[in-house]
Amino acid sequence: MNDPYKILNVPSTATDEEVKKAYRELARKYHPDNYHDSPLEDLAQEKMKEINEAYDTIMKMRGSGHGAGSSPSGGSYSGSSAYGGYGAYGTQANARFREVRAAISRGDLHTAEHLLSILSDHNGEWYFLKGVICQRRGWLDEARRNYETACQLSPGNPEYLQALERLSSAGQAYRPEGYEVFTTGCSDNMCGRLACAYCLCNALGCGGVRFLWC
Amino acid sequence: MFGYVRAAPDKLTAEEEQRYRALYCGLCHTLGRRYGAVSRMILNYDFTFLAALLSGAIKTEERRCVASPVKKRTVARENEALDLAADVSVILTYWKLRDGAADSGGLSRRGYGAVARLLGRAYREAARLHPDFDAATCRELERLATLEAERCPSLDKPADTFARLLGSVAGELQDPIQQRIMEQLLYHLGRWIYLVDALDDLKEDAESGNYNPILLRFSLDNGTLTGPAREAMVSTLDASIRQMAAAYELWDFGVWSPIIRSTVYQGLYCVGNAVLEGTFHTAEGRRGARGKKEQV
Repeated sequence: MNDPYKILNVPSTATDEEVKKAYRELARKYHPDNYHDSPLEDLAQEKMKEINEAYDTIMKMRGSGHGAGSSPSGGSYSGSSAYGGYGAYGTQANARFREVRAAISRGDLHTAEHLLSILSDHNGEWYFLKGVICQRRGWLDEARRNYETACQLSPGNPEYLQALERLSSAGQAYRPEGYEVFTTGCSDNMCGRLACAYCLCNALGCGGVRFLWC
Repeated sequence: MFGYVRAAPDKLTAEEEQRYRALYCGLCHTLGRRYGAVSRMILNYDFTFLAALLSGAIKTEERRCVASPVKKRTVARENEALDLAADVSVILTYWKLRDGAADSGGLSRRGYGAVARLLGRAYREAARLHPDFDAATCRELERLATLEAERCPSLDKPADTFARLLGSVAGELQDPIQQRIMEQLLYHLGRWIYLVDALDDLKEDAESGNYNPILLRFSLDNGTLTGPAREAMVSTLDASIRQMAAAYELWDFGVWSPIIRSTVYQGLYCVGNAVLEGTFHTAEGRRGARGKKEQV
């Protein structure tokens, strides 16, 4: 295994508190919520596993009363179990929908889409799964519309609602320290005070590239 | 590409800013060496950002050039990543100009055509080096033309063509993991660029009747997006930026990390904001007024 300190990006002289802080930051970064229905979900899960192991190794090495395998207090970043693919859901849905979910978790979007297209019952589940397929492809506007329809048809379904919220709410996503919650279209945000334009390389030779402030 | 990709300078140290400029100059020199002086005019910050995504380590050197004939500048030394960024820039610009010539009439048609011809030789060489990317570009632009002719009312379908086109640059990389990450990052960069460009052209297209998916997807209030339509547009732009950021975090971009980070966590949001507010070109205009010629 690689150097656990290197994985958490802290020196081996870091205090327990510093190690914990570094771990938390990384765990926020690679949290499954940030990669839900991304084609890179598996890579984020690997990263998460790696930092969990690194953290546990350091704490074990230090033996400072943390107990083996403990994650930091309040830490609920226990990997991917809660997001383990679509096969786990859908007990009440009919067999066809289960097949679609299975195809999606295999990453076989083509089959999933085909199975969906031959179903005539366009209920909440149908629109939800259609939305998931769109989201996997990166078709985020159509994903949102399908989730919205799913939520209208099956109001109160927590899974559909969560999918819609995850796609729409910018505030939840990870941002590095020092970066505010930026969104497009909020006229009152920080951008007014930020540089908006680069001056490109200038053939008249007044020193080339520079930053202008609006 | 259209010049929408900007970093957020306030998040960069002087050294990082300097490095980005050196990369810009390095790409310019690479274009000049590979494709001749004319090709250098296609340079912009979108392509420089692409070079940052593709570059690993960087070595710099001091060089003079047309834009700075007396004082030597720090320039990124030419390397494989810059070569690839230059080749991709040539292919994309060539097809974009061809597209522009097909889209418009009269004088500008001839203008586009003339520049495309100037780039013709450079394009043939770049296409020979990257036949797969060239074929993907050609295929996706054809797909886009079909959707335009059908007046497709979806945002995602036409955006998907440009997104895939840019995503296919990842196919030129060696490492399979890097390929996957870059494909996702470039897909959403392409999607975002396409949609921001459509947003930018909204008023013009509303008047001229040119194809614009945003006009067909939403009902507009006096040529502007308001209420839920505006909210849905913003939400979909932001969602793509978040996908880019999530992809960025999975790969080590070395010295380019601060530039990419400041772009995907701030710069793109600010550009989107300026486009939405209609202030993007006023900022540009101010820049244009200070230095008449923006390209080398």
